[in-house]
Amino acid sequence: MEGGGNEFTGEITLRPLELSDIDDFMVWATDEKVTRFCSWEPYTNKEDAINFINTKVIPHPWFRAICLNGQPIGAISVTKNSGNDKCRGELGYVLGSNYWGRGIATKAVKQVANTIFVEWPHLERLEAIVDVENPGSQRVLEKAGFQREGILRKYMLLKGKTRDLVMFSLLSSDPKS
Amino acid sequence: MEIKLRPYQLSDVDDFMEWACDDQVIRTSRLRYYTSREDALDYLKEVAIPHPWYRAICLEDRPIGFICVKPGSDHQICRGQISYALGSKYWNKGITTVAVKLVISSVFEEFPDMERLEGFVNVEIKASQRVLEKAGFQKEGVLRKYVIVHGKTIDVIMYSCLKTDQTN
Repeated sequence: MEGGGNEFTGEITLRPLELSDIDDFMVWATDEKVTRFCSWEPYTNKEDAINFINTKVIPHPWFRAICLNGQPIGAISVTKNSGNDKCRGELGYVLGSNYWGRGIATKAVKQVANTIFVEWPHLERLEAIVDVENPGSQRVLEKAGFQREGILRKYMLLKGKTRDLVMFSLLSSDPKS
Repeated sequence: MEIKLRPYQLSDVDDFMEWACDDQVIRTSRLRYYTSREDALDYLKEVAIPHPWYRAICLEDRPIGFICVKPGSDHQICRGQISYALGSKYWNKGITTVAVKLVISSVFEEFPDMERLEGFVNVEIKASQRVLEKAGFQKEGVLRKYVIVHGKTIDVIMYSCLKTDQTN
C-alpha cells in the first residue's frame, strides 16, 4: 500500500521475469497480504509457481518483474486485446508487502505508461480496475496520472464474492505525470 | 402494439436484413454491414441462432430488430452484456425500452450466476442512452477511447442494472 513519505533506497527497473527468479517470485506470491485483492490464492509450492511462469508469464504479451537494485520484488503486466478492442489494454501489478508505502508501484506504473504506447502504437487506452476496498492501489494509479472513471458494480467474482471495482484509465493523449 | 422477443430462424432472413442493412442503424450502432443474403444467412446460422441469448424484437410477430445478452465466464460469470438495434422506421416509439425491460424480467432467472447486466453506449448516441435510462439502468461513468467502431476509437458510457436493483 502506498502512503507515508518514505523514499525507496535504490533503483526501480522493469525486466522480463525468468524461471531463475523463482525464489524471489515465491516471496510475494505466497503472501496473503499481497494476494488479498487478486483473483488467485497464495502459491503453496514451487511446482505450481514454475508452471505459472512457463504457461502464463513467458508467453505473455507484456509481463515484467519490478526490480529493486536488480532483484524482483513484484510484477507488472499489460493484457493485449484484438479486433475492435485493440485500442485498450489492462494493467495489473503486485508488489511484495515489505516494499509497500515507498512509491515503488507508482514508479513502476509510470515506467509502463512511458513505454507501452510507444511499443504498441495501436494502444490508445491503458485501463486498470481496482477493488473499492483497496485505496492504496487506487492512490498508485492516481499518482501515476490515471483518471478515475467510475465504479463498476458487481463487476467481477473474486474468491466467491462479487466485487465493486473502480475503473481507471490513462490515454496515450493524456499529459505525462 | 405488442412487442415480443423470440429466437431468430433462418426463415426470418428478409426481415433481419431490413433492419440489419439499414444505413441509419449501422451508422448509430456498432454493427457491421452484410454484403449479401448469403452473408446474412451465415450470420443467423453461425452467430444468432447458436448464441446463448439472442432474440428478435418482434412487432406482430415480425422481427424489426434484435436484442442479446452475452453472459460472462470465470471471474466474469456475474455479468452479462446487453446489446440491441431496431429498424429506423420504428424508432422513437419506446419499443427498444420495452424490449430491454423484457430482458431484465427474465435474464437473471435464466443465468443464475448473473448479478449484473451491463451495456455501453457511444457518448454521442443519446437515443440509445435514453433506452437504458428509461429501462432503469444506472450510469456508472464514461470510459474514454474504449472501443473501435467503424474505424474510430470512441468514448462510451457504461450502464448497469443489478439483479438487486429489481424492486418489482
